[in-house]
Amino acid sequence: MRALVIGIGSPFGDDAVGLHVAERLSGQSLPDGVAVVARDRPGLSLLDDLESTPAAVIVDALRSGAQAGSVLRIPPAALARDRLTSSHTLRVAETLSLAVALGRRLPALRVVAIEIVLTQGETLSPEVAAAIEPACEAALAALGELLPRA
Amino acid sequence: MTERRTIEVGALARVEGEGALHLTVEGDRVVDLRLEIYEPPRFFEGFLRGRSARELPDLMARICGICPVAYQMSAVHAVESIYGVTLDPSIRALRRLFYCGEWIESHLLHMFFLAAPDYLGLDDGIAIARRHPVQVERALRLRKLGNRILSLLGGRPVNPVGACIGGFSRVPARTEMAALEADLVHAAGEAEACLRWIASLPVPSRPREVELVSVRHPSEYPMNEGRLVSTRGLDVAVADFDTAFVESQVPHSTALHCRRRTGGPYLVGPLARIALNAERLSPGAAAALEALRPRVPSFDPAASVLARGIEVLYACEEALRIARAYEPPAAPAAAWTPRAGVGHGATEAPRGVLYVRVETDAAGDVAAIRIVPPTSQNQAQIEDDLRQLAPGVLALSHDDARRTCESAIRDYDPCISCSTHFLTLEIERRTPVED
Repeated sequence: MRALVIGIGSPFGDDAVGLHVAERLSGQSLPDGVAVVARDRPGLSLLDDLESTPAAVIVDALRSGAQAGSVLRIPPAALARDRLTSSHTLRVAETLSLAVALGRRLPALRVVAIEIVLTQGETLSPEVAAAIEPACEAALAALGELLPRA
Repeated sequence: MTERRTIEVGALARVEGEGALHLTVEGDRVVDLRLEIYEPPRFFEGFLRGRSARELPDLMARICGICPVAYQMSAVHAVESIYGVTLDPSIRALRRLFYCGEWIESHLLHMFFLAAPDYLGLDDGIAIARRHPVQVERALRLRKLGNRILSLLGGRPVNPVGACIGGFSRVPARTEMAALEADLVHAAGEAEACLRWIASLPVPSRPREVELVSVRHPSEYPMNEGRLVSTRGLDVAVADFDTAFVESQVPHSTALHCRRRTGGPYLVGPLARIALNAERLSPGAAAALEALRPRVPSFDPAASVLARGIEVLYACEEALRIARAYEPPAAPAAAWTPRAGVGHGATEAPRGVLYVRVETDAAGDVAAIRIVPPTSQNQAQIEDDLRQLAPGVLALSHDDARRTCESAIRDYDPCISCSTHFLTLEIERRTPVED
């Protein structure tokens, strides 16, 4: 494997957007050696995904106060500063912090985040549903940066 | 006249679910103590009604991301008792293996990421990882093995879907089990090292007069089957749960409180299992217990972390034994016919006894279901422990008082989201002052 796209989310409202992005990308033709996985609140298991690949694009929901449906690129280093606060499910930022604390070598990483608004219900908000395609494009662009040019 | 002071402490970290601890003190007297659980009720018992019992294992797994196996196992055993299903011995063994995976994962997370920071005065598991990377990497390796067991039998490590009434939807091939066996060979050694490290930390001591309750099986360390027993002589069939325990609503919690019919709170979980089943441990785990006496078994909830470590070792040894002896069953699941009736299941979740009562109709639909998770059973005991602890912490700085209370709550590894349902600690100090 040359690179892994990891769509992260939960079934609750817009939080599922990372899973939707992974699903849409799975149906597309991707560069050789690129795999896509969807992970429902992976917690520590994210460490296993990160261990398995030299390069990864993480796609996840974000609440930063930006306009709903905005697709943003987050510097991974900004994420890995977060503190471990809760318990059984480690969030993405916490898991990255843990990997850094352990001195593990992280894969080359890009993070695509989609600003969300709904955190409940079974469906995406219109703004976030409309962001799936731009988020897929952003993930592919991030992959392009990670994969050595042929 | 009294002066009232309310101190907000923010979220109680490293506990699963939403809740708060409210403490009101007057001078050195605790006048009110409430472990509040205010996460909205999840209505599982309501919406499972009318669903086919066949769906229960998959739906029940969704109650908890940490102990899905426990919910699945209590539910399937309850339904199987109604349908009169006889399990193939290989299926029984695979269900124990499934549980081993869950105990390994859940216990290690608690020991290294939730409890150890308390003993070392560190903020969180990341700080532990920074100071003790070798120990944490070891725990992560072992935890991954637990994950592997869950994936092998459940199809995936989170919200597993493999369990069904009568057995599993698919059972491992011999080659898959051989591969797991190869990975398990060194697991017990790693588990011993994990336990040694945890036992070397300044684990506090908070001994209590407490009744310990667990499942007990005639010959095995308890997981899926047995009677409900206690350190005060309780010994009843699972079907008689209601003769021994009573659930009640308390205003400050969306989780029900559970007490003994005799009125007292009680403790379920690894400490109770070890106290009541020590002679059923595997050789390595039994030796580890001997080395840790008299800290365990004991009536000290704070020693639960040591019991967890012993159980991780047990689960590794038991998993290896099962993998070695594995003979694939003739069919992945026994055949069954739906039937109207009432069934009971009590299995040992990582946090303790999980009781389920199911009523089915002739078509095999769920007419009624009751789910009594371990944390709701432990909640009254946790409050009781805190009531005992509180006067002693009032002289401490606010931060130290909070840390001590949090640590006592974490002894139970409470999974508040399971019992319905982040914890905020609020101490209200009413200081008596002279007029």
